[in-house]
Amino acid sequence: MNHFLELEGVDYQLWLSPCKQGYRLHLGDEVTAPIDFCHQGNGRGILTIAGAREPVRFAIDGDTIHLHIRGRTSVLRYRDPLSALALAEKHAGHLVARAPMPGVVVATSVLPGEAVAARTALMVIESMKLETVIRSSQDGVVERVHFKEGESFEQDAVLVTLSAEGH
Amino acid sequence: MQRIASLVDVKSEEFCLNELHNRRLAAELKERQRAVRFNRPERDRERLQRQNKLFVRDRVEALLDPETPFLELSTLAANKAYDGEVPGAAQVVGIGIVAGREVIVHADDASVKGGAWYPLSVKKIVRSLDIAIENRLPVVHLCDCGGGFLPLQAEFFADRHHAGRIFHNQSTLSKMGVPQVAVVMGHCIAGGAYVPALSEYNIILQGSGAIFLGGPSVVKVATGQNVSVEELGGADMHTSVSGTADYLANSEMHAIAIARDIVARFNRIEKAPIDRVAPEPPAYPASELYGIIPKDSRSHFEMREIIARLVDGSRFHEYQPRYGRSLLCGFARLHGYQIGVLANNGVLFGDSALKGAHFIQLCDMNRTPLLFLQNITGFMVGRDYEQGGITKNGAKLIMAMSGASVPKFTVVCNHSHGAGAFAMAGRAFDPRFLFTWPQAQISAIGTDQATRVLTDIKAKQLAVDGRHLSEQELEAIRESISEEYKERSSAYYATSEIWDDGILDPADTRAALAMAVSASLNAPIETPRYGVFRM
Amino acid sequence: MRKLPFDTVLIANRGEIAIRIVKTLRELELRSAIVYHDVDAGTPAVSMADVAVPISGRTPVAAYLDAAQIIAAAHEVNAGAVHPGYGFLSENAGFARKVLEAGIVFIGPTPENIELMGDKIRARKFVQRNGFPVAPSAIEEDDPATFISRARSIGAPLLVKPSAGGGGKGMRIARGLDALEHAIVQARSEAQRYFADARLYVERYVEKPRHIEVQVLGDSFGNVIHLFERECSVQRRFQKVIEEAPSPALSAELRKKICETAVDIARAANYRNAGTVEFIFDGSEFYFLEMNTRLQVEHPVTEMITGIDLVAEQVNVAGGHELRLSQPDIVLAGHAIEARVYAEAPARGFAPTTGKILVLDYPVGPDVRIDSGILQGQQITTAFDSMLAKVIVHSPTRTEAALKAERAMQELVLLGCETNTNFLARVLADEQFLSGQVHTGYLDENPHLAAGEFGSDLSAFLAAAALLTRPVRDSADAVPELHASLGSWRN
Repeated sequence: MNHFLELEGVDYQLWLSPCKQGYRLHLGDEVTAPIDFCHQGNGRGILTIAGAREPVRFAIDGDTIHLHIRGRTSVLRYRDPLSALALAEKHAGHLVARAPMPGVVVATSVLPGEAVAARTALMVIESMKLETVIRSSQDGVVERVHFKEGESFEQDAVLVTLSAEGH
Repeated sequence: MQRIASLVDVKSEEFCLNELHNRRLAAELKERQRAVRFNRPERDRERLQRQNKLFVRDRVEALLDPETPFLELSTLAANKAYDGEVPGAAQVVGIGIVAGREVIVHADDASVKGGAWYPLSVKKIVRSLDIAIENRLPVVHLCDCGGGFLPLQAEFFADRHHAGRIFHNQSTLSKMGVPQVAVVMGHCIAGGAYVPALSEYNIILQGSGAIFLGGPSVVKVATGQNVSVEELGGADMHTSVSGTADYLANSEMHAIAIARDIVARFNRIEKAPIDRVAPEPPAYPASELYGIIPKDSRSHFEMREIIARLVDGSRFHEYQPRYGRSLLCGFARLHGYQIGVLANNGVLFGDSALKGAHFIQLCDMNRTPLLFLQNITGFMVGRDYEQGGITKNGAKLIMAMSGASVPKFTVVCNHSHGAGAFAMAGRAFDPRFLFTWPQAQISAIGTDQATRVLTDIKAKQLAVDGRHLSEQELEAIRESISEEYKERSSAYYATSEIWDDGILDPADTRAALAMAVSASLNAPIETPRYGVFRM
Repeated sequence: MRKLPFDTVLIANRGEIAIRIVKTLRELELRSAIVYHDVDAGTPAVSMADVAVPISGRTPVAAYLDAAQIIAAAHEVNAGAVHPGYGFLSENAGFARKVLEAGIVFIGPTPENIELMGDKIRARKFVQRNGFPVAPSAIEEDDPATFISRARSIGAPLLVKPSAGGGGKGMRIARGLDALEHAIVQARSEAQRYFADARLYVERYVEKPRHIEVQVLGDSFGNVIHLFERECSVQRRFQKVIEEAPSPALSAELRKKICETAVDIARAANYRNAGTVEFIFDGSEFYFLEMNTRLQVEHPVTEMITGIDLVAEQVNVAGGHELRLSQPDIVLAGHAIEARVYAEAPARGFAPTTGKILVLDYPVGPDVRIDSGILQGQQITTAFDSMLAKVIVHSPTRTEAALKAERAMQELVLLGCETNTNFLARVLADEQFLSGQVHTGYLDENPHLAAGEFGSDLSAFLAAAALLTRPVRDSADAVPELHASLGSWRN
């Protein structure tokens, strides 16, 4: 089973295997070798990749890896196979509305216990100077509204939990 | 160590003809393996798809670490049984790497007869667990078994090495401290229910996974109770009520990820310390084996040429090169591991047997695993040889080989007949692994000899009834006897019956043996101790 | 600097512009004071000011909009003047008036200037009345009942804008007339929320328009000069991304014409202090868009090409002095480009991003200026505007400036919060940008710039990330040597 690294919304399945001069990177059928990383301390290092030496700046924050290579900055996220594959399970039996981007709650339109139909507006959020209406993806009953008016949240935060009860 | 200087002329006609023949045999092997692995009736494939199940091969691949080898064992088990309708005996077994650990993978193949256990399925599972016990390898079971195939229960239920042995072996492994993980991906019914229950860890798949001794229909018949599969043995019930299962998974991949995470927690076993250096490829390519193994299995071939294409740098330290020359003995390295090689370069004589017995003891004392390369028609017979103590000397070889505590590995390269096949670490002597080459013949005596003997007997029986056979009739009888004998001494028959751990393409032998040696070192090597040698 | 009637200036702002102002105040040997909400405690702006006064509010933004608290803070630190920066209360005539009534100097235009020119509708009517060109429009408050039908009669495409405010907030395009009413509903809701003023107006949306603005400076003696133009056509969602001076679209003749028009408008308005007259330019004609009665975010590009410190000039004029410069003193030298670094994900529709700044290293070099209010370790939230820093470069030619800006974007290391630096570097190297053929729809028409394909860099990023991720590296290291050497061998 491969490892998953997410980069700009795309999951890359990859694997490292050791070789004489370091490692090989397997990405599907594509192999990049040899590769290696030499730490220089203080979030700096040298990536050796197919003979080239690339200075790297990096910062690691939990499963998130921030990288600056070849004048380009990127954020990659390691997705542990256990949690990645179990994601669907977490809210099994529940439907959740997640935040498409970080922002602030402008208004909540529903209360716990309220039955809602698909496409019902649950919440109005504000982000990037634009308002976005968060709607229910299915019929259900509002179980919990996780944020109050004026509260801010991060991307992917669960905003409203619905249960499928009674449907 | 001296390098073997190959004397093979790779440009010769003989080499080319041999090569053509053996490449065809290798291709035939690969094709049969491919068919056994992947050819399934469309309806079975569709059923799996409907049940949202992965094909067993995909399950195994997902379980293994990518970019690591998998030594599949007994791929062609049952290929000559049950009209060929139970490919691989509905089981996938092999040694692979999961989370960096060497493990035995055992997977039921639900695409064959719903994963039902046939007699040879049971034999294959028992063998896989024997391997786990002998080599102290953790086991990952991917369970998806509809229960035993009842019409054949007499062949898999009651005897010592029948189905009960699976659970006996599981218990033995546990007692030895060798952990098992079972992933319940389908139904585990009746005896099958004990596979996860006797494993240290188990994972059950929500939806398709279920464990019960008797299914709803059996319960209905036995007690009149109406129950659903979920109530009786579903994933939710077993993980929250009965405690029969440990982890709940919501997809096959999730279940496999949990299994990998569990294996990653296993202690790393300190391997048996044997001499090892950095590996070196052989000086001669393995593909030349095709040109060396003779097209006509009756022709003699030089085992040094085979060794030169198996061992590191083709280097071979030959022991007693001038004595007992029909049994080649010497030290070599396989992927860096020091091994002792015993290879037949002709029939076994008294001196060859004495040399072999002595060499085995040298290796045993030296903690050097033994590799037996069989091409043996037997011990030499005849008055002079008996008077010279050939039986007594053969017994010494058998006693030494049986008693050696270092791991033994056997490759049946060509002939494997008579007591010589026993003495060269035959199946009964528990070599850790025994592999066969496609052209090998395994039988008590050779086909020609056997045909003569059996035709004679037949003719004599008919003569008693007053029937005299024409030369033509005799020839017909001879042919049919020969055909049947040949069939039942073929490598394919042997592997169908699980007399070996699989047929190897000769070119794959080095890698397979390296994995086997590595696996064997998970078990400690006991202090050498022997029985009585008849002097 | 001539003698000023104040020795302490309170900065009613935060972040990079507050720092920018502090720097000039230091040079002028004036004491700087700042107000700050709790979430900004410890930020460089707060620590750099000579004195800092905490303010509070229901939200952080609300605190910076609270005129009473700010004026009280000014009194508390004996500030004789208030600099509002940009945004927040900078274009609030009521605030300017309250400041003056409190006996404090407002470093900016007069309340009357703001009332006239800061209100888009009033401004455009004023400009039109004085004979300057404006785009066809329908103004709601002229007759709310007929607003929509008047808007429809202009014809699509239309741009719906709040009468108050700026910075792209609440603006909506209606490509077809059937989308108009929906756009009005949305724009109204946002206008109400941001500016507490739901009034709207609609104007013809000019396709492929270029946004060109002229920096003007006036004093209380009726003198008005310009400091040439800036072009801000590289925008996404009406937000400026890259600005430059001078505009590559103008001939010397047009430049003279547009700059003089701006000066005439400011003079007609009796404008005092720094201001910006914005125009829409369709390639041949330009017409008045609006006036920004404050210091602009992009003012540094003007400073780079003229060598003039605009804040110092603001202080001078606000101090009651006559302009120190006359038009002939203003000389345009070279080309300046500003790139705005935002906490946002261009590939995800420029959605704002958050995170803690773990590594921050700015590019250094001659003629590279960084205006930034952030610090390593700082948490970026969505409480404020997502702009983190501005990188401004100056070179003899536009091509050299673009190259220098691109390099600066590549050298800027900001880790911990996703930003648009890769995107900026791509835009700065884009052929269309380099040819100068940009307009405000340029980024929308070139979505590949935002998407940012990785190409050959993909394997480098994945390789580095894989090698830096313990579970990935550990599983490679866990494989026994023999098995690693056999690879994916199968028998």
